[in-house]
Order: sequence, then C-alpha cells, then structure tokens
Amino acid sequence: MTLLSVKNLRVTFDTEAGVVEAVRGVSFSLGRERLGIVGESGSGKTQTGRSVLRLIRPPGRIEADAMTFDGIDLMKASERDMRALRGPRIAMVMQDPKYSLNPVMRVGEQLMEGLRQRDGMGKKEAHAKAIEALAAVQIRDPERVMDAWPHELSGGMGQRVMIAMMLIPNPDLLIADEPTSALDVTVQAEVLSILDNLVRTRGMGLIFISHDLRLVSRFCDRVLVMFKGKVVEELPARDLMKAQHPYTQGLLNCLPRIGGPREPLPALDRNAAWAN
Amino acid sequence: MALIEIDTLSVTFTAKGRPVRAVKGVSLNVAQGESYGLVGESGSGKSTILRAICGLAPVSGGTIRIGGQPLPHPRGPAFSRQVQMVFQDPYASLHPRHTIDRTLSEPLAIHGIGNTDQRVTQALNDVGLPPNFRFRFPHQLSGGQRQRVAIARALMLEPSILLLDEPTSALDASVQAETLNLLNRLRAERGLTFLMVSHDLAVIDHMCDRILVMQHGQAVEELPREALARAEMKTDYARSLFAASADRMLGA
Repeated sequence: MTLLSVKNLRVTFDTEAGVVEAVRGVSFSLGRERLGIVGESGSGKTQTGRSVLRLIRPPGRIEADAMTFDGIDLMKASERDMRALRGPRIAMVMQDPKYSLNPVMRVGEQLMEGLRQRDGMGKKEAHAKAIEALAAVQIRDPERVMDAWPHELSGGMGQRVMIAMMLIPNPDLLIADEPTSALDVTVQAEVLSILDNLVRTRGMGLIFISHDLRLVSRFCDRVLVMFKGKVVEELPARDLMKAQHPYTQGLLNCLPRIGGPREPLPALDRNAAWAN
Repeated sequence: MALIEIDTLSVTFTAKGRPVRAVKGVSLNVAQGESYGLVGESGSGKSTILRAICGLAPVSGGTIRIGGQPLPHPRGPAFSRQVQMVFQDPYASLHPRHTIDRTLSEPLAIHGIGNTDQRVTQALNDVGLPPNFRFRFPHQLSGGQRQRVAIARALMLEPSILLLDEPTSALDASVQAETLNLLNRLRAERGLTFLMVSHDLAVIDHMCDRILVMQHGQAVEELPREALARAEMKTDYARSLFAASADRMLGA
C-alpha cells in the first residue's frame, strides 16, 4: 500500500542572484518501508524531505504534479490541515539538535509540551511518558536529562532527545534528516535498531536522509541517490555494491575502511552533466 | 622519550553541586611524529582529554607533560606555538563576524610575528583554498571550506602537535575524504604529531598508528592499527565497538 506518493517535485528559491532550483523533478512512492535518500550537501535531499511537510518558507516554492499522503493531497491541504498532519501523522527529526531544540526551555518541558497541549495529558502522566520515551532511545539517566537545558547535552544526547520527541505521538511516517550523523557508532547502531523496530512493529514508513551511503544501505530497503537536485540512481539497498552510476560508486569509495590502504582517499567526481 | 606523556589524568567537573568524573586515571604516551587515536562513545571523556591538555578542563589529578616538561598554568604563549587544536564543529569554531583574514592573522599579531600578508596567503594555499577567500566571512563558506580554515588557523604558529577533536564528523563523506587527505598530507610535509579523537573507527584506522579505546572516562584498551584490522581486541567493549563498525570493513 502506498503511504506517500510524490510526482515530479520541484523546489525553487528566488534569490537576488536568480532562481535556484534545489530539487528538480523528483518522483518516488513509499509504502510502510524504509526509503533512504543519499547525496552530498546541496544535493536537495533535505529540501525533498521538508517539502513533504510543506516546511519550505518563501521565497522558496514547492511545485509538484502530485503529492499525496494516505489519500490526502498535500499540495491542496490548508495550512490548518498541514498543522494537524505535522507531528501526529508525519514527524521529522531534524539534523542539528543545537538549532532544533528550544535553548531556553528545559528538555523535559519540551518533551511534555506536545503531550500536554495536544493530547491534554496530566503533568504526571506526561512526565512518565516522556521518561519512557527517553529510556526507549537508550538515555541512561532520563531524570537528569529531563531537568537539563539543551546546551548541557552532548550532540548525541541532543539527537536522541529529538528522536524521542518525534516518536511520542507515534507517527505513520517519520522523516529522519541525518538523525545519526552526530552520533558515535555504538549509539548509532542502537538508534538505528530503535528506528528499525518502530518501522516494523508500528508499521511506520521511514524516509532516511543521509550522506552516508553504507549506513543507508545497511538500514534501508530502497535507496535514492541524489545529485544536484535530481535522482541519478534508484536501487534496492542490497544491490548497492552493484551500483552502476559513477556518482554512486564515488560516494561508496570515498569512505575510509578499517584495514584499508593508507593512500589518499579517492576524491569524488562531480560531473555536472549527470544532473541534466 | 614520548612527546606527549599523560599519566593517570583525572578530570572532574562540578555539575549542579555534584562532581562528574569525566576522565578517571587515563595514561597514554604519544611519540614524536606519531598519530594517536582516541575512540569511544560520546561522554567517554575522549574530547575532555584534549581540552585538559589545552587547559580548558579542570584537571583533578595526574600529570600532562609535553616534551618532558610539565605544562604551566595558565598555558603560556610557548604552549600555543607548540600545540594547537582543531575543533569538531567548523560552524561554531570560527568567529562569525571576523573575516578569514582576521581569523588567520590574529595568532600572528598576538605572537608578534610579522610578514602577515605572505603568511596568510601561504596558509590558505597550504590547505587548498584560493587566496581571494581571505576577505570572506565564515557564513560564505561551506562546512568543508570552514574546516580547512580552522586547520589553517591551527597551523599559523607552526606547531608540532595538532589536537584534532572529531575534525570530520560534521562533514559529508566526500568532504571528509578531502579533509582527511589534507591532514595526512600536512602531517607528512611538516612531521606533525596528531592526537585525534573520533567515534568513527574507520577514520581512526585510516589516520592513526595506535588507538586507545575509552569508555565512561576510563581507558579500556590500547591497540596498534594492525590489531584493529585483524579484529584482535582483548576486551568485550572494544569488540562491540568494532562490531558496530562492521560495515566499515574492507570488502564488506
């Protein structure tokens, strides 16, 4: 069953220097599965994710032939309808906890805000639920973290807090924008297995945005490789090592490997013609 | 004799009246010209060791010696000429309202080194940035370019030791490759000694000769690079860290 379908999505920004096309005709559909979107910074992968939630502010413009989520036309939905979707139905884990958490609000209050406001939950119940969510993302001392300010958390802790926050309302679709880039490998593995579990047990759809091709291939079912606003290759994650496109191969080869040679790592070939 | 000698170093912070022991009796030695890696999960105290060397963390026990000399407190100008640090986040470690030129020439001005013009141009050239970047502000640069500026700044005083705190974890895979290549080239050209922190075993393996695995502020296991590639760890924690990076293995 298709949860989200996007056809010919374009995101353009009118800037002083002219029109910048961040996303140029991206199409994909997503069931209750894990879709990876990979590319370098500036390839349009984040803008694609944000477009689904219509989180692109003017002068940015979203155009698409069709963009539907669970039968709802996202291009035609009112701002009010979109607000109702964001959070409970489609949640997004942002990239950087430093900029995405409210710096003047304790972590606990931020976690409980949605539960108290949206779900009208009592303070005690919301507190218990928030603690439970923090424990679910493997935070060792949830009581202490509840009382902490965002600046007192390390990057990894902050990222886990954001994931906990997004998972509380149990969304149907989770858009995770580089959710584990700031985390170290062991925590990364834990967070991924948490996400993996949620996708499977709750039947959630997941869009996983990352620049780390190997991570995506291990974790997702399907992978879109983006370059300069276009999808250059789409393939099942298990066939990644057989990728045909030179850009995909370049992304795979520029990562250092344990036990690999000490020579300089191959630089990525960025041939502008691939995006035409 | 090792260039950097750290003996049973402890660092204790006070958070809300209770002590937090970030580093508990860690010892390590780094030889001249060596590249030494610290690995562990966040909160394991690996960055705190680098900060303690720079005098940015409250040392509560143990000693740090560089070139056999204990470090003065506060660290003097001689220390800055010998040891420099590159921080994790190039978005936060450059002054947003100073041009690149000002960022790079400030250490020269402080240390009374002349010939600023030529040195700044040379520094940009060394890290592979065009000379016209001098008059840009950090927000006009990409993450990889900013990290190059941070590396150039660290090299302005021609130090012999670079402390690298996750220098590529904020960067894309492709930009990471370029930055690691740059660091390796500079180390070879200038005979630098690296003490590098990362949570990515593959990056550490690519860059470092010896590795210290840390957990909860303690040293778990020290192993040479060859042992890492052959998965010859003695402790369970090091093994679990290695297992979590299995997709970073050659041929995986």
